Amino acid sequence: MKKLNKLSLLTFTILASKLLTSCGGVPEETSTVGKESKVFAVGEVLEMVAKENDVTRTLYTKAIVGKGKKQGMKFDEDWRKDDIEAGPLPALFLRGVATSIKKSPVPLGLYLGSDYPVNAANKFIGKQANLFEKIKVDQKPQFFYDEEQKLHTAMFADLAGAGACVSCHNDHKQSPKTDWELGDVMGATTWQYPKDSLTYKETVDVLKSYADGTVDIYKQYLKEIGEFKESDKPEIGKKWPEEGNFLPSAEVFLDSVKKLSSYETMKHLVVSK
Amino acid sequence: MFKINPLRKRQFSGIIIGLITGIGVFYFFTLKSTEQYVSIGPMNNGHEDLSCITCHANAKGNLLQQIQSNISYGVGVRKASVDFGTKDVSANNCLECHDRPNDRHPIYRFSEPRFNEAIKNIDATTCITCHSEHHGARVTINTGDYCMNCHQDLVVEDDPLDIDHETLISKQNWSTCLQCHDFHGNHKYAVPEKLSDTIPLTAIKDYFKGGKDPYGNDKKHKGLSEADWLNKLIK
Repeated sequence: MKKLNKLSLLTFTILASKLLTSCGGVPEETSTVGKESKVFAVGEVLEMVAKENDVTRTLYTKAIVGKGKKQGMKFDEDWRKDDIEAGPLPALFLRGVATSIKKSPVPLGLYLGSDYPVNAANKFIGKQANLFEKIKVDQKPQFFYDEEQKLHTAMFADLAGAGACVSCHNDHKQSPKTDWELGDVMGATTWQYPKDSLTYKETVDVLKSYADGTVDIYKQYLKEIGEFKESDKPEIGKKWPEEGNFLPSAEVFLDSVKKLSSYETMKHLVVSK
Repeated sequence: MFKINPLRKRQFSGIIIGLITGIGVFYFFTLKSTEQYVSIGPMNNGHEDLSCITCHANAKGNLLQQIQSNISYGVGVRKASVDFGTKDVSANNCLECHDRPNDRHPIYRFSEPRFNEAIKNIDATTCITCHSEHHGARVTINTGDYCMNCHQDLVVEDDPLDIDHETLISKQNWSTCLQCHDFHGNHKYAVPEKLSDTIPLTAIKDYFKGGKDPYGNDKKHKGLSEADWLNKLIK
């Protein structure tokens, strides 16, 4: 009898373990990524994407906002409000890119701050404020690991690269500083990523999420123009505001960004590959 | 044929009854019409018509795979555990229906290091801090003074309010913020210029509990219905 019980127990154990393992486990999500070697340190990738951001923002500020204002186009921090017919100011353009990136599966964070921001809520405090003091001196990027959020973080100088940056901030009634000059470090972008190194694919994904973000916010601006009721609607196509009441389409805008920034980025990617 | 020892008959009957009851209970509680009995509490306002699956998506793999994977993880032959039954609900689930480009306080902004101190007081990096589900309410945080965590230094030039913002802040009247401004900025309404014309705090608290919307019903973006959400997923 005891022998039979032992046999039953053994049979049950074998059957149970067979039943449990017959389907195999849930595939590990990291299995494919693990095979690909990590080729870029997070700092390198954030420098690449920050460079793309510099080029994009400068193009938007100079060629769209600066020249557009001369054509009578309006840009406002409350551009999304129904009663305001305007486009996003450069800082809000960046905010839009950041929001779009967050909607993508890429875990990249992007923020803009300053020690004299127009919106007091964007003022640096704590570690960011200390590092920003260094950035103002040498304009070199600062890297650190944010222990609280467990994120690798980099800060890059945000320069007054266009006359429109200086004039808008100096004239803005909420601005706590009104003597900005061209070339000043007006603020810094802060970028965050959870991993210390990235594969080639992850790096391309980061750059793509930024590029997609710029197209996304630019398209939102063009959509907003479509809803203008009282203001003059610029013609959207291949021409730029410097030629008249025109705005480039999203494709034309992104093409120009690519032309301006792709060489540097490609060089990084190709050399490391 | 299969013989049962007469002394084991009661035991056998017990096993059969237990199995039938277990399968019956499992079947009953997994029916869509009985979801209300499984729910840990009443759905929040606006979510009353949602099915469980809207937030509680099935986890990857079948039940046996999940058990095997978690045992493997337990004995150290697997790097990560897996969700069991349903996937963990995250803020991304909320944003699938409530993604608003005009959000004044999008949760992602609070991951920036300068908010590290503020989020110790109120974790604004996730929706559930204020909107915990299954409470039959709209807002589940009890206080209305959370603006103080970030807006201590607020300066408003040409302040339109009869009692200016600086005075309100210096007096620590932090609950007055919500009397004019809805947190996410999704309502279209004229902000009052006199403190006496602002929304009473009691009306805001009622709204939090699921009462009438004191900011009005004119919203720029509305949350998706389950059908709209499904259509979005299919696309």
